Amino acid sequence: MASEFSGFHDELRAVARAVLGAVPADSPIDWEVVAGSGWAGLEVPERLDGAGVTFAEVAVILEELGRCAALSPYLGSVALGIGALSLVEPDAGRDGLLRSIAAGDTVVAVAVGEDGGAGFRVERSVEGRLTLRGSMPFVADAPVAQRLLLVATGWAAGDDPAPPSPGGVAEATTRGLAGDTPVLVELNRSAARPSITDQPVLDATRRFGIVVADGVEVKQAQIRRFVGDPHVATGRLRDRATLAVALDSLGIGEAMLAATVAYAKVREQFGRPIGSFQAVKHACADMLVQLTIARELCDAAVERVACDLPDASAAVAMAKSYTCAAAVGIAGAAMQLHGGIGYTWESGIHRFLKRAALNRALFGSAAEHRRRIAARYR
Amino acid sequence: MDDTARADLDGFRAEVRRWCREHVPADWRGAETGVSEAEFAAFQQHWFRELRQAGYAVPHWPAEWGGGMSTAEQIVLYQELAAHDAPRLVLAFVAIHHAAATLLAAGTDDQRRRHLPAILDGEIWVQGFSEPEAGSDLASLRTSARRDGHHFVVNGQKLWASGGMHADWCLLLARTDPTAPKRAGISYFLMDMRSPGVDVRPIRNAIGDSHFCEIFLDDVVIPEANLIGPENQGWQVAQATLGAERGLTMLELSERLGNAGFRWLVEACRRADATGRRPIDDPVVQDRLAALETEVTGLRSLCRGLVERHEAGTPRPAEASVVKLFYSELLQRLTDFGAEIGGLDAHTVLHKPMSSGWESGAWMLDFIGSWEWTIPGGSSEIQRTIIGERGLGLPREPG
Repeated sequence: MASEFSGFHDELRAVARAVLGAVPADSPIDWEVVAGSGWAGLEVPERLDGAGVTFAEVAVILEELGRCAALSPYLGSVALGIGALSLVEPDAGRDGLLRSIAAGDTVVAVAVGEDGGAGFRVERSVEGRLTLRGSMPFVADAPVAQRLLLVATGWAAGDDPAPPSPGGVAEATTRGLAGDTPVLVELNRSAARPSITDQPVLDATRRFGIVVADGVEVKQAQIRRFVGDPHVATGRLRDRATLAVALDSLGIGEAMLAATVAYAKVREQFGRPIGSFQAVKHACADMLVQLTIARELCDAAVERVACDLPDASAAVAMAKSYTCAAAVGIAGAAMQLHGGIGYTWESGIHRFLKRAALNRALFGSAAEHRRRIAARYR
Repeated sequence: MDDTARADLDGFRAEVRRWCREHVPADWRGAETGVSEAEFAAFQQHWFRELRQAGYAVPHWPAEWGGGMSTAEQIVLYQELAAHDAPRLVLAFVAIHHAAATLLAAGTDDQRRRHLPAILDGEIWVQGFSEPEAGSDLASLRTSARRDGHHFVVNGQKLWASGGMHADWCLLLARTDPTAPKRAGISYFLMDMRSPGVDVRPIRNAIGDSHFCEIFLDDVVIPEANLIGPENQGWQVAQATLGAERGLTMLELSERLGNAGFRWLVEACRRADATGRRPIDDPVVQDRLAALETEVTGLRSLCRGLVERHEAGTPRPAEASVVKLFYSELLQRLTDFGAEIGGLDAHTVLHKPMSSGWESGAWMLDFIGSWEWTIPGGSSEIQRTIIGERGLGLPREPG
């Protein structure tokens, strides 16, 4: 399938690189440009004004955004947001939100644990009122999102078809609280609740927020059920998010290798380009070898996620653990091989190194992903 | 891949599995441990004939010469041979890969007709490239081939010729123009190892085997018809054919690593020691296994892509070097870990079965033997230089 679309991918990549390359470093990417280029709605069906393609195309954009360490809510709104909405039961409200994200009118953020778990619970009072409690740190792009999608457990429409009888109060309450079925709760930010607190990190190219819901009232219409087994669905959401981060690191690695090679060709010491010295040349060769393996692992994972193949999770774990660790090493080597200039704020290499290190920690460390891989050996 | 193709591939896999169950000798590992070079060679010839009869010996050759398998079929074949712990073709390796690739790319029709069917009948080949003073700096080789009418007279010494004592023919690089710059005066020959003046002496390697050889050449006469490619362009011919070929041989080796080496490593980690402890229950062991599986998975995917790009005529610069370097060092890491897991017991295994893969399960010997990958065929340092210069366009070192 990779070859079928490779022409389209090359074109998409070329356009993305040209558009993103024109944005000055440290400036946010204009979201209207992202949406206007059709990148926000790549996976959205054509009837909702999207492109109707797959995660394989989103992957191209994710890598290119990493390549320029772009400040943009693509991770929250597209990789996670559209991913989450594609996994829930469709209705007019969901379709409207997909259309709005694709058009660039709405930016969303998704609060989901790095293992796909829920940070929130829906509780139902005796009177049938639904409230949301819980919190989730490091919610990507939450500070800029107009709409929040939270993975929550607890009561969901249909769990309890019979209204509680006056004598069955305790039973009904228990029933609602005991549910551990993940659902997706949609919240409008304008209601001033839940609270979203900015969570500054060293990497200035990412925005995170702590989302806290302390008894936020929700309506049934805001609670969306996942299609099929909800635990499988949240696992797929986790895989998408994890792979999105790996692809970002792949782009970082590519950018750092390209910058280092370009510099090593022109920077002269001892009367010759530093790239002619074996120590520098071999370090660059090692960067290329690692990136080559990382790309193989990422491509394999993208194909499995895009086609929803059963072994997707292991492939994603391999892509994430290898690529994110490799990118930190490559960005570190880039700083080293640029010498003194590489350590300056001005050079900008620190932005890539910080982002690569953050990516390594985001949605599961390398060790955690390797633990999931190793679970297959028992 | 459509459903029909997938079904065909499943059918082929079933066929290979059936064949392996019927033909892989059940006791070959034990029987081939500690055998003499002659017994090893006889077993290799026998196994080659078995594979050839099944049509599995040269799947990568063009159909007209007896091959013609698709990349997907080759992968299935290599996966199943490895999974059924079939012996490897060690002695025929240079013949079916390097010699065949050279003949197909640069040979004359006569040369192809003379040698390709003979290779299928068991003709053994050896590479005569390295010399005592020409290792990593191969182009500085000194073995001379002086033209004498329609013949060349060859004098010199070749080193590290693997399988040299069994070889019928040699791929020989020799200097035909001593006055030309070093890469410009080399020619490429097909040399009959039974020619008068050829003297082969084995060298014992670090694991105790003697398949490496020195080849002494004393006024050896090679007919002009056995020149391959134009005179004085042997370096270019060898570079063009062997660089790509090295990458293609890795398809089998990477599948072997994934379907035999890594699986055995997991099995070794599952085995309880005298106290009943299993290494696999240690999270550190799990972590390292997962890291190795990840690297093996990346390598297998890369090898598959490399073969497909080679067939499509769209190879990436220096990708054969990337694969060779990564495989060599991964093999070293994996066998090192096997030796670590094996503990003291791994040191009591004094012989590995001949005809096995580079990961035989005799982990200490496999670990020591992994330097046979990081040093020959362009050492890891040379590969990094090639990747830097041809893959990334970095400037050459002056001089």
